[in-house]
Amino acid sequence: MALLEVKEINIDLGEFNLKNISLKVERRDYITIIGPTGSGKTLLIETVAGFYRPASGRILLNNIDITEFPPEKRGMSIVYQDYMLFPHMNIYDNIAYGLRKKTRDKNEIKREVEHISEVLRISHLLYRMPLTLSGGEQQRVAIARALVVKPKLLLMDEPFSALDVKTKEDIRSLVKKAVREYEAAVLHITHDFEDVFTLANKVIVMKNGMLLQTGSPEDVFSRPVENFVADFVGTNVLDCRVMGSMQNLTVLKCGEVTIYTADKAEGRVKVSVRPEEIIVSANPIKTSARNMFKGSIIEMSKRGQMIWLFINAGIMLKVVITPSSAEALGISEKKEVYVMFKAAAVKVIK
Amino acid sequence: MAWMNFRSLCISLAILFTFILFISIAMLFVIPHPSEIVNSVESKEMIYSLKLSLITASLSTFLVVVFSVPIGYALSRFTFPGKSVVRSILDLPMAFPEIVLGLALLLLFGETLIGRVLANIGISVAFTKLGIIVAQFFTALPYSIRIIYSAFEGVSRRYELVSRSLAYTEFETFRKITLPLAKNGVFASMIISFARCMGAFGAVLILAGGSYMSTEILPITLYLNISYGNIGMAITSGIVLVIISFIAILVFEELEGGKWHY
Repeated sequence: MALLEVKEINIDLGEFNLKNISLKVERRDYITIIGPTGSGKTLLIETVAGFYRPASGRILLNNIDITEFPPEKRGMSIVYQDYMLFPHMNIYDNIAYGLRKKTRDKNEIKREVEHISEVLRISHLLYRMPLTLSGGEQQRVAIARALVVKPKLLLMDEPFSALDVKTKEDIRSLVKKAVREYEAAVLHITHDFEDVFTLANKVIVMKNGMLLQTGSPEDVFSRPVENFVADFVGTNVLDCRVMGSMQNLTVLKCGEVTIYTADKAEGRVKVSVRPEEIIVSANPIKTSARNMFKGSIIEMSKRGQMIWLFINAGIMLKVVITPSSAEALGISEKKEVYVMFKAAAVKVIK
Repeated sequence: MAWMNFRSLCISLAILFTFILFISIAMLFVIPHPSEIVNSVESKEMIYSLKLSLITASLSTFLVVVFSVPIGYALSRFTFPGKSVVRSILDLPMAFPEIVLGLALLLLFGETLIGRVLANIGISVAFTKLGIIVAQFFTALPYSIRIIYSAFEGVSRRYELVSRSLAYTEFETFRKITLPLAKNGVFASMIISFARCMGAFGAVLILAGGSYMSTEILPITLYLNISYGNIGMAITSGIVLVIISFIAILVFEELEGGKWHY
């Protein structure tokens, strides 16, 4: 039995809408939702949270129909990009806010607040006011406030997009740990594919209020069902085996070829190489890129402003180039070319 | 005629107008002899009028805020059929001549069903002190609703959504989150309402009938004494009213800053 089941919901708010959305969230699922702006991602999670009532369709939580339940009866917490910490309460009171509704036991509240603060490393901030905190600190508090009530489902709307890269990495690993400990299932809207690969076991792609594809990140990214999904997420996912390391690089055997990556890994792994990170040349050239192969163009197609190439270089690679470089290189199907990419462009997914 | 360009014309008009306004307000303080003011302040009539003004304006302000908080919240957060009609009717008294508002209220509480029902249970509004409060209430309410409405508009709905998701009901969320975050706006509306109530004249005169030492509040004192030729008393009530409105504006600016737009 699924934890959450959304059955064919429709809702039309004019600017945003949802069309026939169905999805299932299992216990312990970490699902990321991706899609362009205006695709209805926020509306979807706010509808799941009960802030909007769908015009048709049902929402089931643990097999109970909660479509008509108000938000306070659903046991779901929400975290927004702009934190939404209550500015008139200190950090302790912000985190304790939801707990006070569950218990009157002051000691228990204190214990729970202190515990989650340790997990998310905000213990030193408890008696500060929200607006004196940095973005990363505020977001950790918002996540603590959401998780401390042990929600069945944690909803997050681009929680990391206002943060810098370093803070993002830290907070990602904290969230991963905290979500596991508090056993919450997660629906997480993001624009950052790093979130998809490091956190999620499932990914949903949305556009124009419709759900285009659902599946594991490897599936969606390596076998996009529609052109749009391919354009949006399309990356090369390769099955590899770790052979060892050389200098600071990890050596991988992927099919017939050897690939270097800057990431650390062991055993069998999947790696991603984004099509726009791959350089195509007519002749072998000396560059700083560690990976270079000879291949032949199997297929070329124009989508939007760009040209997509499928190149067989011992491994199948999707590559995207501009029409002018295609012309300059005299590219056509069956032509032999060289492809190259940096070790840093090879990301270990799993 | 280089000095008569458009720019200096606008600036000189602004300065001229401010100057005239300033001078005319200063006249209130300059013309009467200080002893005249002291005598007037100590007169029975003035003390009665000041007391009645403070009591009625305080009660009206309390009622205005009690009503405008839920009304402002409803206008800011909910959609309901006829919302735009409700909005324009609520705004109407702002553009409406106060004296006509008083007449309309007099008709309502006079010989209509409502007036008679109230009279039967011993409540009479027309030509009574209760009438003062009713008139002040209707004069100040639209202003108060406007200010509180914009205060609620300034509180992001997402705070409420977060609170709701943490198991708080709509009303609990209002009490613990929305209202505390809008409290400056509520205070500001309190100040403005009080100033409006203190200065309400036309509607009070018609509905409560400004009678000497009975339904006499400060603006009525000013009016009655002008008619008797008793300039000292008139000016003194003017001074008291001006002081109250200055304090109100200062406090309001402090609380709301530039947030209040019309």
